Amino acid sequence: MSAPASPVSAHAASSGILLDRARVALSGRIILHDLTLHLTEARIGIVGRNGSGKTTLLRLIAGLIAPDAGRVRIDGLDPATDRKGMLAALGILFQNPDHQILFPTVEEELAFGLRQQGRTQQDALAAARAALAAEGRAHWGPAPTSALSQGQRHYLCLMTVLLMQPRTILLDEPFAGLDLPTQDRLSRRLAALPQRLVTISHDPAAVADADRVLWIDAGRITADGSPAVVLAAFRAEMARIGERDADTDLAG
Amino acid sequence: MLTLTSPVDTAAHRLPAGVKLAALSLWTLLLFQLASPLPLTLALFAVAGVHLGLGGAAFAAHGARMVRPLWPFVLIVSLWHGWTGDLAGGAVVILRMLAAVAAANLVTMTTRLSDMVAVIERLARPLARLGLSPRRLALALALVVRFIPVMLDRMDRITDAWRARSPRPARWRVLVPATLAALDDADHAADALRARGGAD
Ligand SMILES: Nc1ncnc2c1ncn2[C@@H]1O[C@H](COP(=O)(O)OP(=O)(O)OP(=O)(O)O)[C@@H](O)[C@H]1O
Ligand SMILES: [Mg+2]
Repeated sequence: MSAPASPVSAHAASSGILLDRARVALSGRIILHDLTLHLTEARIGIVGRNGSGKTTLLRLIAGLIAPDAGRVRIDGLDPATDRKGMLAALGILFQNPDHQILFPTVEEELAFGLRQQGRTQQDALAAARAALAAEGRAHWGPAPTSALSQGQRHYLCLMTVLLMQPRTILLDEPFAGLDLPTQDRLSRRLAALPQRLVTISHDPAAVADADRVLWIDAGRITADGSPAVVLAAFRAEMARIGERDADTDLAG
Repeated sequence: MLTLTSPVDTAAHRLPAGVKLAALSLWTLLLFQLASPLPLTLALFAVAGVHLGLGGAAFAAHGARMVRPLWPFVLIVSLWHGWTGDLAGGAVVILRMLAAVAAANLVTMTTRLSDMVAVIERLARPLARLGLSPRRLALALALVVRFIPVMLDRMDRITDAWRARSPRPARWRVLVPATLAALDDADHAADALRARGGAD
């Protein structure tokens, strides 16, 4: 892929995640309604109910889908067209690790991203093994990815993203399916990262330390601000819905 | 048979993939030069001996298990040659097949897929002039190897889901959901590839 021309008006908001009236429709239904956002904080949380559009928003930011209207810019680049540029700009952890793993063995899965970033196969494999060793998981290297447990696969996907060292990391439910010690270790690990993190979670506690929290409902931003304010409102609303009867509006 | 992994680490694991693939090609050529049961039996013993020498009895037993999926072919060839009365001819076909597949399995088991792929990439380099990217070819191969077990597993789980809710056996009924699931997997794999820079 050749490097595309610099996007227009990149100077105004060349860093961070910019959405300008971005709309996404899937199967003829509008899933995200003209969102306008500029995210520059280091730690950003996204909460919302099942089906509210969190994953769709992340996919839009990652450039896996293009907006049907409006535009998206990541550090000034268009994520849907500049795939090579995105390698250094942004990494994404999928909600389901089985949707993310492409290679039959652990070390190949880890090495692929580095090869995509232009390193040689040998160099990439060496880096992959070093990363595994640093995690105390050197023996994972030649293991088939299909033989890992769900939680282990999740962990592998996260390592894959971290190894590529993108400037922004999108995490879709990073704690789902992990046991408590692994969750603790992971959250400490994430907290120490210098990168910008955008974390999706159902669980308000998982984003309580964020600099900014977005609450999404039915494809719109319901609240946007400090975790203290947004999460208090979110908790209250979830409790209210839960008391009423959560099942009746799952169809959303 | 592409997804074989070895239960033990052997000296063959450390040989370059290119050397092993070249040896395998020569071995297969040789097997086609041998045309009577006795030398082919010796060849089969030689393959077994190499297994034993590399990783002991457990490794050899594993190798034997890996050729078990060939039984339908052995059966068909036996029946045909038994019927035509050409027993020696049947033995030649079966022994040659076993010796060739066992040797191929040995190479697969002791070679990391990425190394194999690197050899293929190198061999396919002349094809680049025809517009076929060696890297794409290599990637396609890796994806096939990754998704065969995923798809088999998916079939099992669909069968389980069927059995959990139906007294009748699932049999062919899993085919439609399994096909749809495979298409879905393909979509997700395309996404995952895109998320890491695409295939170019
Ligand atoms: N490929 C698709 N085609 C049509 N509709 C889709 C598609 N993907 C998602 N949707 C719909 O878009 C809406 C938002 O889905 P999304 O996956 O973004 O939700 P989410 O907030 O991540 O939910 P969850 O918490 O369950 O992961 C849902 O109503 C879903 O049914
Ligand atoms: Mg989701």
